[in-house]
Amino acid sequence: MKKLYTIGHNVRLAALLLLISFFPAKSFTSSYFDTGESSINLITESYQVNTKDTLLVGIEFKLSPGWHTYWKNPGDSGEGATIKWNLPPGFKASDILWPGPKKIPVNPLMTFGYDDKALLLTEIKTPGQFSGPVTISAKVNWLTCKDICIPQEGEVDLTLMKGPKTISEFATKLTEIALTIPKKFPAQSRVTKINEKIFLQFEKEGSSNISEAYFFPNEYGLISYVKDQKLERNNNSFSLQLNRAEVRVETDKLKGVLKLKIDETEEFYELDLPIEGASNSPILAMSLLTGIVFAFLGGIILNAMPCVFPILSIKILGFIKQSQGSKKKLVQHGLIFSAGVLTTFLAISWLLIFLRASGEAIGWGYQLQSPWVVSILIYLFVAIGIVFMGNIVLGSSLANFGSLAKNRTDFLSSFFTGVLAVIVASPCTAPFMGPAVGLALLQPGLKSIVIFLALGIGFSLPYLMLSIYPQLLSKLPKPGEWMQTFKQIMAFPMWAAALWLAWVLSAQVDMESVFAVLVGALLIALALWLMEKTQSSDQLLKRITVLFSLGLMIFSIWLIPLNQDDESSNLRNEVNNFSAQKLSSLRSEKKAIFVNFTADWCITCKVNEAIALDQDNVKKLLREKDIVYLKADWTRKDPEIASILARYGRTGVPLYLLFPPVGAPTILPELLTESLLLDFLNEIN
Amino acid sequence: MKYLLSLLFLFFININSASVSTDLSAPGFELVDSYGENISLSNFEGKTVVLEWTNHDCPYVAKHYATGNMQNTQEQAKDQGVVWLTIISSAPGTQGYVLPAKANELTATRNAQPNHVLFDSEGGVGKMYGAKTTPHMYVIDKKGALRYQGAIDDAGGPDFWTKNLLDADNYIKNALGEMQDGQAISTKVSKPYGCSVKYKS
Repeated sequence: MKKLYTIGHNVRLAALLLLISFFPAKSFTSSYFDTGESSINLITESYQVNTKDTLLVGIEFKLSPGWHTYWKNPGDSGEGATIKWNLPPGFKASDILWPGPKKIPVNPLMTFGYDDKALLLTEIKTPGQFSGPVTISAKVNWLTCKDICIPQEGEVDLTLMKGPKTISEFATKLTEIALTIPKKFPAQSRVTKINEKIFLQFEKEGSSNISEAYFFPNEYGLISYVKDQKLERNNNSFSLQLNRAEVRVETDKLKGVLKLKIDETEEFYELDLPIEGASNSPILAMSLLTGIVFAFLGGIILNAMPCVFPILSIKILGFIKQSQGSKKKLVQHGLIFSAGVLTTFLAISWLLIFLRASGEAIGWGYQLQSPWVVSILIYLFVAIGIVFMGNIVLGSSLANFGSLAKNRTDFLSSFFTGVLAVIVASPCTAPFMGPAVGLALLQPGLKSIVIFLALGIGFSLPYLMLSIYPQLLSKLPKPGEWMQTFKQIMAFPMWAAALWLAWVLSAQVDMESVFAVLVGALLIALALWLMEKTQSSDQLLKRITVLFSLGLMIFSIWLIPLNQDDESSNLRNEVNNFSAQKLSSLRSEKKAIFVNFTADWCITCKVNEAIALDQDNVKKLLREKDIVYLKADWTRKDPEIASILARYGRTGVPLYLLFPPVGAPTILPELLTESLLLDFLNEIN
Repeated sequence: MKYLLSLLFLFFININSASVSTDLSAPGFELVDSYGENISLSNFEGKTVVLEWTNHDCPYVAKHYATGNMQNTQEQAKDQGVVWLTIISSAPGTQGYVLPAKANELTATRNAQPNHVLFDSEGGVGKMYGAKTTPHMYVIDKKGALRYQGAIDDAGGPDFWTKNLLDADNYIKNALGEMQDGQAISTKVSKPYGCSVKYKS
């Protein structure tokens, strides 16, 4: 048995004591006890105490150089001391009053405790009656550690006389330490959780000299012990940034001790605050509510995205005209437009749920992996541009785009404008949308539909507002000739979108197929022109042209390549191209790696590449830090990439992962800037 | 600008370093065992695997072995066909670092039943899993997903030294039992307790 606790030559008495601890250890007791590595001493503010009195006593630990003992929360390893009091009847001991701890790093871990000296205080309350002298004794278990740990146990006692309190030689020391016991934090403070960070904010008047702050959590699993805490200040307001724990235990309270270093003195404050902000975001953990809010915001922002903006600006022109009409109609149009938007989002969510159920790896923008969809969108964008440019009016049954501004009575037109707006929006993602759609796709059916509906409501909100409060329209310019000009100008972004889609297509199929689609686009243009030209002709000619135009359109659609061509592109062979195998082999070589998950059809990705990834400073830093750059191109379907996206809770691109040489990756924000990216890269050692 | 930056914060999604998440796939590794064989986690695909971080001189570990609690847990795991990997991340010159022969001797004298004792003296695997204490336990299911991480039982805390460990609520036995019965694991994460892992510094 004895051997089990033998740790080199250091154990001796401690080990022995541990083994015999169940024997009454009377013979060892005194107010002082020494184990070699550390000693304890029971000290009191007075050797005399009255009835109904409070006496401050303390266990004073003295530790040999290099050894330390622990706070009540020891951090990553270790254990705080325990004191078991043996008191005369009626005497009551308080819990240990722990003085503010120190950070004691044990690379790569962090522990909290005391080195060289520690004084753990206890308040002892005496009863209304007792006869002195009395003996109080304490059995103390503590752990002292250097590079190794030794559990220690000792018993100390003290005899007290009955009478008014006097002042002992330890009184000053005890009251001094008592001042360092964390007090209730007097200032206003609050805690907010934003994704992976917890922000402890507080006000402190006249605190010009706070040079340092550190929060010692009481409990495991909320905040990281190891990671630095960043203090920011703004006059008298402070914000301490805490990182979430590596392994989580969910809690809604922040409890612990805040250390503030003011000039050269340290102050400790006890905190117990509710954590505000429910989101804790790997998306998987994002609450449904946050998802809905994100979807709603994303929907609103989506309106300003380049693929949607032209369509909707034309819709606003429609509103301007309609504002001359009856208010009731206007509201109806607004509602019907919203209905169109919502119906389409509903249809998309059903489609996605259906596809998900059939095992497809899906995501927002997923449809753009299909050359067929891309080609149809090219035709659509070309057609919209031509309609904007010309004066065409097609039958209301076709619910054509050009009639938006003219055919003010046509509700069907409003409805299909809504449908169209969502369809052309599909190549775009807006901020907030990514996580929300990601969540939607991971949720069971009903929840995911709710999120998509929130997206739709956000998307149609501005128009609904305009139609309900037409006063807002008076802020817009009066209708007139300029509307025609504006409409024509808006044709250009539409065509630009078509060009961009053609480029996307070129990454999916060979040149000949792209060419075929361009010819198809030309034929669509011809068909539309013919229809416009014969608008006011007689019935027969009109019919012939419509038929001929339809033929042209069908032929155009027939021209579309059906499948993506796997051999047309040699993207896969690029040195920097991503594969799961390459990633894991680089990981095992302990390389730092930056992975860019992107796709040609993802505008956000391309913008990020232009403004951040392709910047010389970034490239230079990547080289200097020997960070391997990998590009995971999701322009085409790729189950391997889809499964990695899923692992990080994503269903779409962009996703930026920065792997340190060892450990889990950091997920970078979806919107990159050069300086942001440089900051992240600089954190890699 | 500040406002813009704080908005940007909303997009921050930052998975912290050096740890593994319960219910996600456990990272793979390959280490040399006490018989000089290369052992890879992927060798045990289709089997439940328990990882035990150890340091035989750590008093916490010593108590778990002295009382037979660790062996008892290993025994039950073995009966269920579970693979038990004991991992030593102590760096050379630190407490708990042993040569292969000594490791085998410890296994024999303590009646321990690990399938393999693995050496991780560089600390890479320990840090990858975020192993902080000895003991620190992990349970990986047949599909390679991490299902439990933390202490071996609920005996940690001030009274550890006086507790009867065999009476403690053993999280590993619970998790293995629940997995075998196809039930949800009641405790997936607990605070590991013990000595710090003696990583190379």
